[in-house]
Amino acid sequence: MATAETAVSLSDVRKTYRIGEPVHALDGVSLEVPQGSYTAIMGPSGSGKSTLMNLVGCLDTPTEGEVVVGGRAVDALDDRERTRLRGTEVGFVFQTFNLMPRLNAVENVALPQLFQGIGRTERRERARDLLERVGLADRGDHLPNELSGGQRQRVALARALVNDPAIVLADEPSGNLDTDTEAEILDLFDEFHDAGTTMIVVTHERHVAERADRIVHLLDGRIERIEELDGGAAEPASRTGSSGRSEGDSE
Amino acid sequence: MNPLESLRLAWRSIRGHKLRSALTTLGIVIGIAAVIAFVTLGASLQAGIIGDISPDDQRNVYGWAAEPDTEGGPLAGAQPVFTGDDLEAVEDLEAVEAAYGYATIQTQAISNGEETVAQGNGLIASGPSYIREERLAEGRQFRQGESEAVLNPAAANQFEENVTVGDELTVTILGGERRTVEVVGITDTSEGQSPFEGFESSPRVYVPTDPYYTEQASGLGTGGGDDGGDNESAGESGEARFLAIIVEAPSDDAADIDAARESATDYLESDQSDASEFLGDDLAVRFQTSTELLQQLQDVLDLLRNFIVGIAAISLLVGSIGIANIMLVSVTERTREIGIMKAVGAQNRDVLGLFLTEAVILGVIGAILGTALGLVGGYVGAEYVDLPLVYPLEYVALAVVVGILVGVLAGLYPAWRAARTDPIDALRYE
Ligand SMILES: Nc1ncnc2c1ncn2[C@@H]1O[C@H](COP(=O)(O)OP(=O)(O)OP(=O)(O)O)[C@@H](O)[C@H]1O
Ligand SMILES: [Mg+2]
Repeated sequence: MATAETAVSLSDVRKTYRIGEPVHALDGVSLEVPQGSYTAIMGPSGSGKSTLMNLVGCLDTPTEGEVVVGGRAVDALDDRERTRLRGTEVGFVFQTFNLMPRLNAVENVALPQLFQGIGRTERRERARDLLERVGLADRGDHLPNELSGGQRQRVALARALVNDPAIVLADEPSGNLDTDTEAEILDLFDEFHDAGTTMIVVTHERHVAERADRIVHLLDGRIERIEELDGGAAEPASRTGSSGRSEGDSE
Repeated sequence: MNPLESLRLAWRSIRGHKLRSALTTLGIVIGIAAVIAFVTLGASLQAGIIGDISPDDQRNVYGWAAEPDTEGGPLAGAQPVFTGDDLEAVEDLEAVEAAYGYATIQTQAISNGEETVAQGNGLIASGPSYIREERLAEGRQFRQGESEAVLNPAAANQFEENVTVGDELTVTILGGERRTVEVVGITDTSEGQSPFEGFESSPRVYVPTDPYYTEQASGLGTGGGDDGGDNESAGESGEARFLAIIVEAPSDDAADIDAARESATDYLESDQSDASEFLGDDLAVRFQTSTELLQQLQDVLDLLRNFIVGIAAISLLVGSIGIANIMLVSVTERTREIGIMKAVGAQNRDVLGLFLTEAVILGVIGAILGTALGLVGGYVGAEYVDLPLVYPLEYVALAVVVGILVGVLAGLYPAWRAARTDPIDALRYE
């Protein structure tokens, strides 16, 4: 299924947590994300959005099914290769920023490159470039707690981009930002997307999701429907086990 | 990730918790400091007592009579049993080159003309060959039966005007009696000539046993209880008995030395000797070379040092448990940071290396501070007890190695725990 044009491919993915009563966080999800596309994922709390992102971000492995990222089946990789994939192929923007508290902005942005064995000077140059791109050229030496929420999110964004990932994953990137800052971040996403990066963004907000090419609606661990924007035709949600009724109510 | 980067990151997190890191290293500091200080003191003590001498009196065996199971160094438990006749008889033995008694004569003072210096244990009475020819810087050996003396440099230089060969000195014996001696030689060192004296530098005057000791013991009595008691029980008052006897073998060949030792022991323990009257079942004659005697002293010092190093090792163990404990706390506390690092591509070995580096830095800092503190402690101690300061440099190198080792051992488990942290769990950790 994983063709050259497919950035991420999920086939019948299940993730079950067994703490007492088994929780099916993902219950048979199949999804193809073409390269260079912009996908939004929506759904109520607890529907499995973060679980899905963790799988695509190579942070986690499915209980069943197959996740293919950048042409490689994630669960067939050992821990070392998976870590490598997550360091180079994907850039993860967390809802809670997840910056290193004792490292300044430049060092935070440069952190992923440290683990790729890239030299110090080169790392700093690259980090300063990226900070400039996200409009933080003058905040390089600040620690995270000396930055505003929006600035932190932009640092996190710069960090996600530092290794030139093919895919950028953002889990509620604007969850606690004001509208102006949110707009800035989303504009940056558009920029990356225009530059050819595959974007997958989880959001609760309709207007954020509408920046994407399509919206995947999750409900109780299944794909409820996939909504194609910009006049694209709605496609059937998924095959097995999904309650996918395509409704195609694009605005 | 290259080691330099690990070092840099680890150093930052240590600096981020200054007080905690300082307290953590304290255990190591104290442990290493204790080892270094005591080993320094031990080495200084050894240098003070034994010096770095290599015994060149290797033809000699030193003998005294004591209860068979007496422990200790030269002359431990010695009783005065040897008579002049015994000495002559031993010297006549085939395997023996020379034999003479050894005794110290207590003095009050020594005068060189007008000038008088107090001297408590000034006279060492023995045979002429006790001062070996090659040890003489000037003059010659004293002769038995003459009022002659050989001085060591410390004794010769204690007067305003240095004593030289040919000068006459007046010695005041402990009882108050004055005797005149002619200086016939000066030795080349102020250290002791045999293990009987000890090897530390001090002023010494060497005289022949005859007339000094023989007259002393038979006539006035030396004031030493030993001799008085001995003379009575000997029942033949007037004859001096020696505490110690020195037997010279024809060469320093081990076989010759053993032969001399055996024949002297055999004779002295046989009924022919005067000494045998006292020996009986209670006392046994023992002859030892100075190497053997030094070895005994060395053994005692070694035992002492091992004991102290053992105690310090326990303190190091406690110190490393401290490091392990703090590292575990630190790993838990930084779970989220570990999660972030792993999420952005840190391999397990990167995380392992990071925490291990941190533990090693703590260990090494502890070792360096401990070494410095220990050296200062050793210096102060040696100064206080007035010993020649000797730094055991191999221990300083060892201390740093131990610091690294302690860091690695203490950091291994916490670092391993950090490395296998699951990134998702770690990121979810509040
Ligand atoms: N580690 C875990 N152990 C047990 N259950 C878990 C675990 N992680 C997630 N779950 C469960 O899986 C389900 C999906 O969780 P997930 O975090 O993916 O939801 P979400 O869609 O991201 O919700 P939100 O919008 O609130 O972030 C939830 O019911 C949750 O309780
Ligand atoms: Mg979530």
